[in-house]
Amino acid sequence: MGFGLLALRASRTSSAINRSCFSTSPTLLISRIFASQSPNPSNRHSRGIVSTPELLQNAEATAEAPQPQEIHPPRTPLAGARVHFPNPEDAIEVFVDGFPVTIPKGMTVLQACEVAGVDIPRFCYHSRLSIAGNCRMCLVEVEKSPKPVASCAMPALPGMKIKTDTPVAKKAREGVMEFLLMNHPLDCPICDQGGECDLQDQSMAFGSDRGRFTDVKRSVVDKNLGPLVKTVMTRCIQCTRCVRFATEVAGVQDLGMLGRGSGEEIGTYVEKLMTSELSGNVIDICPVGALTSKPFAFKARNWELKATETIDVTDAVGSNIRIDSRGPEVMRIIPRLNEDINEEWISDKTRFCYDGLKRQRLNDPMIRGPDGRFKSVSWRDALAIVAEVARQVQPEEIVGVAGRLSDAESMMALKDFLNRMGSNNVWFEGNGVRPNADLRSGYLLNSSISGLEKADVFLLVGTQPRIEAPMVNARIHKTVRATHAKVGYIGPPTDFNYNYENLGTGPQTLLEIAEGRHPFCSALRNAKNLAIIVGAGLFERKDKDAILSVVDSIAKLGNVVRPDWNGLNFLLLHAAQAASLDLGLVPESDNSIESAKFLYLMGADDVELEKLPSDAFVVYQGHHGDRSVYRANVILPASAFSEKEGTYENTEGCSQQTLPAVPTVGDARDDWKIIRALSEVAGVCLPYDNLAGIHSRISVVAPNLLRVDDREPTLIHTDLKPDCQQKMSTEPFCSAVDNFYMTDSITRASKIMAQCSASLLLKK
Amino acid sequence: MAYSLVRSVRSDALLRSTFLSVPLLKSFSQDALVEIKPGEIGLVSGIPEEHLRRKVIIYSPARTASQQGSGKVGKWKINFLSTQKWENPLMGWTSTGDPYANVGDSALSFDSEEAAKAFAERHGWDYAVKKRHTPLLKPKAYADNFKWKGPPKTAEV
Repeated sequence: MGFGLLALRASRTSSAINRSCFSTSPTLLISRIFASQSPNPSNRHSRGIVSTPELLQNAEATAEAPQPQEIHPPRTPLAGARVHFPNPEDAIEVFVDGFPVTIPKGMTVLQACEVAGVDIPRFCYHSRLSIAGNCRMCLVEVEKSPKPVASCAMPALPGMKIKTDTPVAKKAREGVMEFLLMNHPLDCPICDQGGECDLQDQSMAFGSDRGRFTDVKRSVVDKNLGPLVKTVMTRCIQCTRCVRFATEVAGVQDLGMLGRGSGEEIGTYVEKLMTSELSGNVIDICPVGALTSKPFAFKARNWELKATETIDVTDAVGSNIRIDSRGPEVMRIIPRLNEDINEEWISDKTRFCYDGLKRQRLNDPMIRGPDGRFKSVSWRDALAIVAEVARQVQPEEIVGVAGRLSDAESMMALKDFLNRMGSNNVWFEGNGVRPNADLRSGYLLNSSISGLEKADVFLLVGTQPRIEAPMVNARIHKTVRATHAKVGYIGPPTDFNYNYENLGTGPQTLLEIAEGRHPFCSALRNAKNLAIIVGAGLFERKDKDAILSVVDSIAKLGNVVRPDWNGLNFLLLHAAQAASLDLGLVPESDNSIESAKFLYLMGADDVELEKLPSDAFVVYQGHHGDRSVYRANVILPASAFSEKEGTYENTEGCSQQTLPAVPTVGDARDDWKIIRALSEVAGVCLPYDNLAGIHSRISVVAPNLLRVDDREPTLIHTDLKPDCQQKMSTEPFCSAVDNFYMTDSITRASKIMAQCSASLLLKK
Repeated sequence: MAYSLVRSVRSDALLRSTFLSVPLLKSFSQDALVEIKPGEIGLVSGIPEEHLRRKVIIYSPARTASQQGSGKVGKWKINFLSTQKWENPLMGWTSTGDPYANVGDSALSFDSEEAAKAFAERHGWDYAVKKRHTPLLKPKAYADNFKWKGPPKTAEV
């Protein structure tokens, strides 16, 4: 209650007295004045620190006061939440502020309030972490309970009458808030969390305008958690969300609580960095500004930023992200909820790759002169030269390669363009020789990412999900933690964040399992839902077909492919990989690059260019000056994923679309537009000139790519594959990703990713 | 005052009816009764034609990952896919060539998907709707922290 309100009240009472002067007798007036001066606590206008004066009155009077029967509007769960009933019979009814809600048995009071659409203030409770119950901010009043109840830890019981906005609950929360603010610095104006801080928000509702604490605030030494997370530990309110996140989701035991009482602090026990590929998420879950983003520190305030909801392309998971931009610049990337893909987390590569979008960018069309130096030219000249060369070579000497970050539209345009030029040597750089593009179930994560939670035994074949797809790994970790699922792994020695058995390193072990000689076979046979995950790194091996046929026989052994469960999964590596196989980017000849005279690289930076004839003409179309640019004759600048509308299909076959957040750099254009323009100059004009046109072309080839957020069910293939004649080599599997932080042209250009790989890279 | 305005309009219409040919007036009054055609509101609002044929995305913003509050969650917004921005060389501020650059972000907000769709239709915009992702509430218990989860397992076998 501020001074203004107090003054208003004072003047009201005095005016009431004045009015009564004219209407009533003087004796009555005198008695009134005396009454107002009597030491009745309810009428005293002293400045109390609590804003619940009704509690100071006689408790019986408030209890006996008739409660007006309010008619509540129908309430919906918070944020449109869906309620999962594990057992429909076990539903109970509770009353939240008089409104009845039906909830599954076992839910907490706080969850019941959420279902009733009441947001309970909280700091320590997080819906995806275990319950700690230590901040006490979520106190509510429960009828027939003598004290306020911590709603996050209290199970809801049938017929419970929960009151969330009573004076008792408010006073209790105000008390908690006063204690929390006691040791919290008043540095909101210089805090990066300012404006999106839970403590700031909730102190608006439950904070006092002054404190009663006159002592010196405690100070805590900042910890060094690495190049990603900035710590200001004096701001910490000991909610332990970061500790629980590190143990339960990231699977590293790095963080913990040290000391007791006012000496309590979050730390890493000994001086060390937080080595997790999900460490950036502690920035989001920290309800105060104790853990903030180091690269984003003091760069912008969050209310200046424009949010664009889009998709991540740094791995094949397709995490849902929000790009926050200010003007023409990407300022940060934060996760967005998607229960089926990334829940609420993203990997560090996704979160911090954004500074790569500002470096090493190609902004003008360029031609390499006779002196070996690039010269900027106009689009007209560049396209004319490329078209001229393409017309001069033989059709079978034209080769096109799509890169890791290509969207489906541009891959469609590239294939159409090359086909019209008479060549069918168009492929995707990570698929290896003769990829299996016939059956979608042969290259997708068939049980879906969220479906992995149903598995009870995992067999990882030549894949290290922790560095290939951290969000898939987080699901496996969640499953292992929740159900003690067994994990068997075949591949080079690696570091997982859950218990696993290293069965072997190569195809030999695979063969032993298929023949039933391996001790792990008993686990496979007893598994209810076995999930085999085959890494896409194996696609590049020469004996790929032989390995896959052995995997097929293991799948038969474990009864993996059933109508209700398809556990034969392939974990892809790149954002564009699934769409490239859907669109049929399969080369006609196996060694087309050796005989190529005209090589069209659409963002392809990992092609082995050593085999290319020295007189070949190389066109590089892409957004970063990366590896392939050294060999390119012509550079055509294209836009990055943050600047265009593009369709990407993730590893489970769910197609999603990116949206432009920032303008393109320099004179760059969208990939498909460049190819469309080039086709016109080359005299083989493609029949589409807008996105709708190219989508109708895609709908002929792969209609599933246009059904956004939808997973097309794959066919179950058991006996469709021809018998394999290949001989399996004994060469052990190698890891598909050397450096988790640098896998594509954007992340290789990023300075933050370079710092991470220098300091955090998991030592082998 | 409003009443007098209405009256004057009425008298005006009466006056005009005496001069104007009857069929034209009939078409006028019929138009007033039919529903608004797609794109018509944008046309009569004097919006330049190039902005009446743009593509927009209708979406419901997700909850900010770092904040608990859900007051703004569940609203529907229009993203105008506006990227015509550049850094102004004079002061380094952001300039834009698109009058809708900041509209979708700050001003437009709808209570339902249908309302946003109807608004886009009235302005003649070609729209795509993004599916809204909602959280899934599963029962949780404090007692799970102390549940016996089987014998401790060794890391390596």
